[in-house]
Amino acid sequence: MSAVISTVKLHLNRRETTFLVPLYITGMVAVFSVLISLVFWRSGSQPGSAEWIQGSQSNPGIVYALLSFLVYLGVSSVATTFPFALTLGATRRSFTVGTLLWAAITSAYVAAILAVLSVAERATDHWFVGFYVFDVHVLGAGDIGRLVTIVFLGVLTALTVGGVFASAWVRFGARGPQLIAAGVVIVLAAALIVLVPAAAGIAEAFQLWWLAVAALVAIALSSTGTWLLLRPAVVR
Amino acid sequence: MTNAIDMQAVNRRFGDAIALDAVDVTVPEGSICGLLGRNGAGKATMMSIIAGQDRPSSGRVEVLGQEPFENESVLAMLSFVRDNQRYPDDYRLHHVLRIAPDFAPHWSDEVAAELVDGFRVPARTPIKKFSRGQLSSVAIVLGLASRAPVTLLDEPYLGLDVTARALFHDMLLRDYAAHPRTIVLSTHLVQESEALFDRVVILDGGKVRVSSEADDVRDLAFTLSGAADVVQGLIARSTVLSTHTVAGLMSATVWGAVDDEARTRARDLGARIAPASLHELVAAIGEHDPAPADPAHDEQKGVRA
Amino acid sequence: MFTEDAPIFQQLAARIADDIVAGVHPEESPVPSATDLAVFHQINPATASKGVNVLVDLGALYKKRGIGVFVATGARELLRTSRRAEFRRQYVEPLVREARALDIDHATLRQMIDDEESSQQ
Repeated sequence: MSAVISTVKLHLNRRETTFLVPLYITGMVAVFSVLISLVFWRSGSQPGSAEWIQGSQSNPGIVYALLSFLVYLGVSSVATTFPFALTLGATRRSFTVGTLLWAAITSAYVAAILAVLSVAERATDHWFVGFYVFDVHVLGAGDIGRLVTIVFLGVLTALTVGGVFASAWVRFGARGPQLIAAGVVIVLAAALIVLVPAAAGIAEAFQLWWLAVAALVAIALSSTGTWLLLRPAVVR
Repeated sequence: MTNAIDMQAVNRRFGDAIALDAVDVTVPEGSICGLLGRNGAGKATMMSIIAGQDRPSSGRVEVLGQEPFENESVLAMLSFVRDNQRYPDDYRLHHVLRIAPDFAPHWSDEVAAELVDGFRVPARTPIKKFSRGQLSSVAIVLGLASRAPVTLLDEPYLGLDVTARALFHDMLLRDYAAHPRTIVLSTHLVQESEALFDRVVILDGGKVRVSSEADDVRDLAFTLSGAADVVQGLIARSTVLSTHTVAGLMSATVWGAVDDEARTRARDLGARIAPASLHELVAAIGEHDPAPADPAHDEQKGVRA
Repeated sequence: MFTEDAPIFQQLAARIADDIVAGVHPEESPVPSATDLAVFHQINPATASKGVNVLVDLGALYKKRGIGVFVATGARELLRTSRRAEFRRQYVEPLVREARALDIDHATLRQMIDDEESSQQ
């Protein structure tokens, strides 16, 4: 158990990467969103108009910007940290559990940041000028419960998926991640082939919680995969 | 005396390659054991298995009486930093010093501070940009400051300058005397380190060729040198490890202890004879072509027991 | 610092014995601990203890529990006596062998020894 806690601390040891980089990225995205809004403003769009709100709330920039960093963070949490964790004396089991725990902490942290900023954005009437950065559709458009769920599960998915790809790399070298990617593509293609005839019906019946379930499945599969891949992995 | 490390019939294969071949090695508690042999002899694989970072293909390994693989209580008592150790992205020295004590219950900040200071390990440079010697310094800091009951030092000399080597020896011996533990030090720079050892294990081609007390190594082999025909005649019925011939002169390293008879015979014929030093023995074993039926193997059994 | 002619513990014992004979370590004074010797010479502490123990077994050094190792009374004479016994094998034998190899006859060798003795007076 103590090695699990130590593994969490090992991940959190990269304080800047874990705590500050998400803030930098969020800040950058905010700046870019404001710049884009300014461009629209200058081109004649009026802040506060229905069209303006619709347009800026559809901007998912925040998601893309964070997502690539989070996948990197997930990859590096295993690729370079695993060999060092073994050196320090972590077991593969405690490393896997500790890494999942750390991913949950990081997810909660990012969810909390975005929740606070979203509340602030709405409380200041969108930064007093009608700019939409965090109060966007993809983050629940103002529904805090929904935002926290989306961000938490989204970040956790990105981290664990990054982790399982890195585990495949640790275990099999460059071929590992390619094999996983190929496997995922094949499964998705097969699902598509089976489901396409019923696509219209499925789209009709689509519920948001389906995504949550999909995320949970991805998280569970990735974590199990990480464990299975790391258990026999030999660091050389 | 109990054994800190006990390996019985350990084999390790990577595909077709045999990294360790029927390795039987015990290291008693409270000793400094030199793990010697050429590059690729199996030293790193053996350490990896002792450290629970790898598992044998067959055979049994016990460290402090338990199997090390996935064994949290053993791993807490063990330190192993490999010579090509990788560190997490954007790590600097302070990251290492901050987290290592969490995994090492006997960690000493004083030892770490003294070594960091003496080695002049840069604080601001990312570890990724460290020179070979600086990487070795960090590994030594981790190895010695952990005060782990079983400490494995993997090629600690790589890139170290003379001053750093002396500092390493000084700290190793002082701290070892104050806090006895079991240390296994792998190196192919034998002369650098032979005085540190009270036990030695020599590997070649994945096989244990010697496992003995350091003081007994002198009785394992001897070197003969002189006129080629004389040396040739003297070694005719011995197990020869290696020979060097140049312009009618020959030197040979031969299994066995120097006895008075051999000494007299050699002197009468004008040849020089002396017990092989540890580094001569390691070099000779490394040159020796491991023949399938190796008579040397029987001869060293007495020492291995 | 040590040669390869003999095991290190023997060479260490010989060195401490040299220092006792030369008066560096007077009788009843402490000699460095095995740990200090190990660190100083950068050798294994067990090897250092073994070297010290050679002289303890000989009676030249003795251990005071918990305090350290001391030079025994009479150690200097003891070591000198044992060295006298070794003198012929260690010094005279190679001397005569080398003289023979160089065709230095008995009279010349004697003369050399006499000259050397008087110059060191």
